[in-house]
Amino acid sequence: MLQIKNLHASIPDEKQKTKYKNILRGVNLQVNPGEVHAIMGPNGSGKSTLANVLAGHEDYQVTEGGAFLDNQNLLTMEPEVRATAGLFLAFQYPVEIPGVNNMYFIRSALNSIRKQRNLPLLDAMDFLTLVKAKMKEVDMDEKFLHRAVNEGFSGGEKKRNEVLQMLMLEPRLAILDETDSGLDVDALQAVAKGVNSLRDSQRSFIVVTHYQRLLNYIIPDVVHVMVHGQIIKSGGKELALEIEERGYAWLEKEAQG
Amino acid sequence: MNWLMDFRTQQLKQFNENGLPTRKNEWWKYTDIQKNAIPDNAGILKESLDVSEWSAVSDILIVFVNGHFSAKLSEMKAFPKEVIACTINDALKTKEDKIKSCLLRERNEKQFPFATLNSAMMTDGLFLEIPKNVKCITPIHLLFIHTDQTDFSTSPHHIILANPNSQLTVIEEHVAKNAQRYFTNTVTEIHAGENARIDYYKIQDDDLTATHVGNVFVEQHKDSCVKTFTFSKNSRLTREDVSVWQKQDGAETSLHGLYVLSHDQQHVDHHVHVDHLASFGTSSMLYKGILDKKSRGVFNGKVHVHPAIKQINAHQENHNLLLSNDAEMNSKPELEIYAEDVKCTHGATIGQLDDEALFYLLSRGIEKNEAHRMLVHAFSEEVYDKIEDETIRLYIQQRMNHYEE
Repeated sequence: MLQIKNLHASIPDEKQKTKYKNILRGVNLQVNPGEVHAIMGPNGSGKSTLANVLAGHEDYQVTEGGAFLDNQNLLTMEPEVRATAGLFLAFQYPVEIPGVNNMYFIRSALNSIRKQRNLPLLDAMDFLTLVKAKMKEVDMDEKFLHRAVNEGFSGGEKKRNEVLQMLMLEPRLAILDETDSGLDVDALQAVAKGVNSLRDSQRSFIVVTHYQRLLNYIIPDVVHVMVHGQIIKSGGKELALEIEERGYAWLEKEAQG
Repeated sequence: MNWLMDFRTQQLKQFNENGLPTRKNEWWKYTDIQKNAIPDNAGILKESLDVSEWSAVSDILIVFVNGHFSAKLSEMKAFPKEVIACTINDALKTKEDKIKSCLLRERNEKQFPFATLNSAMMTDGLFLEIPKNVKCITPIHLLFIHTDQTDFSTSPHHIILANPNSQLTVIEEHVAKNAQRYFTNTVTEIHAGENARIDYYKIQDDDLTATHVGNVFVEQHKDSCVKTFTFSKNSRLTREDVSVWQKQDGAETSLHGLYVLSHDQQHVDHHVHVDHLASFGTSSMLYKGILDKKSRGVFNGKVHVHPAIKQINAHQENHNLLLSNDAEMNSKPELEIYAEDVKCTHGATIGQLDDEALFYLLSRGIEKNEAHRMLVHAFSEEVYDKIEDETIRLYIQQRMNHYEE
């Protein structure tokens, strides 16, 4: 499903905009249909950069390598085309958009994707029935439909809204960028429940996280450790437990040695 | 009426002495009115046209064609009997005293040269008086159609008198159908008596070759409440002044504006002025602009609190969205405070579409054009949200081409 080959990417230096800072330094990853991959790693290791590069954020510049979704070159696609191709990124910091109604936004997104897939568009009533059912799954109050996108939402509400969008858009590949950070146990379980309800043999997930905690609820098939812009170790779900116990330093040493 | 002839001659003389305002005049620093924008020809009344396109917002429609009142095209059946309405020309015959006191009011001619010109050239307009304690719920929709004529001028002059405890909503809309290079110079005088409430909407949807100058003068008495909304869309050049004098205590003023410029060489200038001459008053300004291509906008908002005035709450905001690198905005919020017990805030911003918000929408599969449209709409939503009446809000959104679903 997803193939990442020797991917290098950089972002403009915050102080000197003309200079670029290398973040990804040769990422290789293969995600097969139906698999859940977790990517763990310390702060600044490049996990979020990888997620944003895959979604097509224009601040990041790919300098080498490639990424393919169902054998299509992701990197030459516009962000909206990647979404209609089946990619979904649940943002670490979902942006607040005052003045854009949440329901209108989700419906526009869904119908835009349905249009690309040659499916009939949903009218307001059908949409409402569907979205209300999905909101129940993530334990989200219906009042959030009538507010502006993420505006004034708490951290947990924003993350639930991300998972709600994922449930509505039914992507082929969903990337969750630290969706667990700052969540209490209830919200964490709601997020996991949403993800697990979508899991099937054709759909894949990349779960980016600092902590093993989320992986108690979303059981990964493969765990990767990313350090300094590279995946330095991959293993089964037990690797996450080992990291929880021992931290990342030993892995960095192992990689250097 | 000798006084009127004398007055108009004097006003014309005055205007000619001062000439057109140049950019040396501080009220006209960013707006250059060319002499050729003011044609000599008057508008001609034409009555064979369809106005149904503009009839959705109210049962009362008062139509002026090329500056002249058209009884034939107007729809007055629902007009409340208590409200006195007639053209200015009729009012000059029957209500001379009231008109005289409005017209002869002194104003700063340097600041309002076009009000002076309007007095001299005044073609027609509406006289509206709402008696004490009468609440007129149906909005009164004034429609100015410019049609089948080129290179002409119109100078409408309206007087709206709201007596104590009365309530009134007026929508003044300017549109074009096959008319070019015309010049409109309007004056609207609003007098809000004690505890009166007036909602006044202006929709400027002229032809792209037109020049539109508008002056709204508002005088407020004790505990009155006046809300104005100014929507500017087309025309080559628009200058809108809203000037408010709070003459008695407890007056409430809120002034709103939205200008959407999407063509090269378009220019819109808003000058908004509130004079707090009495205590316990509030005033707010919320003006927002969306500028694309090589368009240019000007905003000057001024709050003036006079000495010995107490307990004023004044708020002023101007926010602008530039959609192109060639668009230009000059924003100048001003506060002149000569009293101590006053709370005033102001803010002005000029920015571009939020890249992160745009990426968020795109990442959900929304097409670029639609994502742009959603964010631009979101930016203007704050102004539309201030319109309490849903019918009026939807009508204006539709007229401004922001309508969705």
